[in-house]
Amino acid sequence: MTDRFETHEHDVLIIGAGGAGLRAAIEAMAQGARVGVVCKSLLGKAHTVMAEGGIAAAMANVDTADDWRTHFRDTMRGGKFLNNWRMAQLHAQESPERVKELEHWGALFDRTQDGNILQRAFGGHTYKRLCHVGDRTGLEMIRTLQDRGVQMGFDVFMECTILRLLTVGGRIAGAFGYWRETGRFVVFKAKSVVMATGGIGKAWKVTSNSWEYTGDGEALAYEAGADLLDMEFVQFHPTGMIWPPGVAGILVTEAVRGEGGILTNKSGERFMQRYDSKRMELSTRDEVARAIYTEVKEGRGSEHGGAYLDISHKPADYVKKKLPSMYHQFKDLADVDITAGPMEVGPTCHYMMGGIRVDAETARSTLPGLYACGEAAAGLHGANRLGGNSLSDLLVFGRRAGLAAAEYAKGIAQPSVDTAQIEESERGMLAPFERAEGESPYAVHRDLQEAMQDLVGIFRVEEDLKKALVELQKLRARANRVKVEGSRMFNPGWHMARDLQHMLTVAQAVTISALARKESRGAHSRIDFPKNDDTWGKQNNLIRKERGEMVLRQESTRDLPDDLQQILAEEK
Amino acid sequence: MAERTIRLKIKRQAGPEAEARWEEFEVPYHAGMNVISAMMEIALRPVTKEGTATTPVVYDSNCLEEICGSCAMVINGRARMACSALIDKLDQPVKIEPLTKFPVVRDLAVDRGVLFENLKKLKAWIPLDGTYDLGTGPRMGQKVQEERYPLSNCISCTCCMEACPQFNDKTNFVGAAAISQVALFNDHPTGAMLKEERLRALMGDGGVHECGYAQNCVEVCPKGIPLTRSISRVAGQVMIQSIKDLFGT
Repeated sequence: MTDRFETHEHDVLIIGAGGAGLRAAIEAMAQGARVGVVCKSLLGKAHTVMAEGGIAAAMANVDTADDWRTHFRDTMRGGKFLNNWRMAQLHAQESPERVKELEHWGALFDRTQDGNILQRAFGGHTYKRLCHVGDRTGLEMIRTLQDRGVQMGFDVFMECTILRLLTVGGRIAGAFGYWRETGRFVVFKAKSVVMATGGIGKAWKVTSNSWEYTGDGEALAYEAGADLLDMEFVQFHPTGMIWPPGVAGILVTEAVRGEGGILTNKSGERFMQRYDSKRMELSTRDEVARAIYTEVKEGRGSEHGGAYLDISHKPADYVKKKLPSMYHQFKDLADVDITAGPMEVGPTCHYMMGGIRVDAETARSTLPGLYACGEAAAGLHGANRLGGNSLSDLLVFGRRAGLAAAEYAKGIAQPSVDTAQIEESERGMLAPFERAEGESPYAVHRDLQEAMQDLVGIFRVEEDLKKALVELQKLRARANRVKVEGSRMFNPGWHMARDLQHMLTVAQAVTISALARKESRGAHSRIDFPKNDDTWGKQNNLIRKERGEMVLRQESTRDLPDDLQQILAEEK
Repeated sequence: MAERTIRLKIKRQAGPEAEARWEEFEVPYHAGMNVISAMMEIALRPVTKEGTATTPVVYDSNCLEEICGSCAMVINGRARMACSALIDKLDQPVKIEPLTKFPVVRDLAVDRGVLFENLKKLKAWIPLDGTYDLGTGPRMGQKVQEERYPLSNCISCTCCMEACPQFNDKTNFVGAAAISQVALFNDHPTGAMLKEERLRALMGDGGVHECGYAQNCVEVCPKGIPLTRSISRVAGQVMIQSIKDLFGT
């Protein structure tokens, strides 16, 4: 039955070719597994490439007092203690080794005087801890991992989108997808699958995420029966570009405010005075975001719904010297000279702390044969992620996922695939071509982004969240009736019709989780429940598909063992 | 409605074998828009200037902040990144074509796989087989780091190959990007182990001698990589290597 489809067979199939996916692939190959890597875009162009700051690892090259314990404590504090503590421990312990390895594979890092890897300070980290390459660490990481993978000879399937995970008897059997280029379907038979697809930012209107971030991994895992964890924790960075439209969402580094940048509203008032007169613009991220949000809500926002951020009162040379990449970012991409006038900024959807629930040691999901790592997985960052902990996450848990997925594959025979699952997926995928009429998927996407931005944004309230659930239901109905013009060959409208389904699934998961968590913690801010709640501080939100319905339940977190408890108690 | 609009002229091609044709578009103007955001407007309402329904334009893109290297195309006759091509700075109608040195997949999307093939041929990586202890990692002085840093800025966009008169069907020339990566890895403490092999791979057909020093590569590189400098350095290393090989030392 599957004869009519192009079919590939591997031990381990990796979905996603960012830092986590490539690191997983390298490890699985090192274990002798036959590895295939599927990615939506081109090899080397994944979202990791945009990471700037660096890789957090307690190497103690600059601040010799640093060690894994301090990194562990910082990570737990940043995550408001909702983190999976075992993941936070492994991450802190193994990051230095992963960085060294990356350097062996050819990554260039900035150096200390005596030739070691230089480390820089970053928000929430007690010591100078971020190993970096200028302000383009992600590019270096991706290219190094890609070179290593190419040397080892992995099979890469570029510009291919996965439509569903294939299971047999409740275990992974492979995945079914299509080539974006030709529109033809393809079957990947695999003993295990590593999900490394990244985040979900494209469900919001203003995001620093690229077009690939449509929550594919989270949605595919959920549809196949795996648990999702703490989906309400979506990190919004307070300052993203909001104008001009071509660059909306692109990050404006905190350093602009650090160097003396001033935030004003439409009447030119320095509004931080009313929110945090002591720290002003250098208040914490959530405070600044709350202030901008309030100004906009109360009608004092900038022309395009944000605030003005101005550094032009400083000498032009000073700005160019202190903020070179920001100067070029605005000059090259927006033709805005930040030495001459203000930027327009607003909160931008940046990172997903929630995701596929995994086991700390093995990155195993609750579905046998399915592993997850990187942004698609949940647990390490708890309620809020520290800068720099993302790139180290990719390396540490990418490796662990690749290792465990290869080990699992060694023990089992190649599963057969279920043709009924493939045919069902094929029918759903082709339906938008067959409809006589229907609206454009782009219009539905635009409305989804508006709804999530307005109702499930940086600050949430019960009334909005309930409204969002109603909206999402309507949007799902519309998404199920979209019409796509043209052929199956490289048809962006058709791709969007599919991505929309994934975004709607994760949007719903985020919304019902956010509605349930009646407290404010980390990135989840409830206007109607502004304080931390001790009960909620010890439970996770779990989401699972049961009889076709999205079901939410809570589960208690595990208590920390004494030795880790002691580390948290230490003051440093 | 007296809304301000901009004009685009885009070369469309339905598939690798299909006939290319031009389509003109008139889309709403927004302050500071770039070529990508203009094409997003077309995707929202895929109708030509004449009012004929068409399909959204196909192109590769990703980061939209000039770091991933996906959206290279020929804009008003010049190979460049579409995300940083600001409409306000371009003559209209903005003429947009796919890169010409690579096979067209559809519309503005091309197959740039040849760059990867060249990097494989030149072993542009660090030779490690995982059988020995990593120890503390290679120490590298700030000076070497600074030398290598500009070369490591490459975003594999292939603009340098597009602009190069010697990169064509006749020469098999590997192009500036790949040669610059050879320079990068030859300077790495462990990478130097493969230096000889890399240089030998650059001696034969399509090697470094194919460069005609037109200097177009360095003109178009969006990252300002000193490509001609890399080529000169590697050409020197190749010459020394071939003399060594000749005398068998």
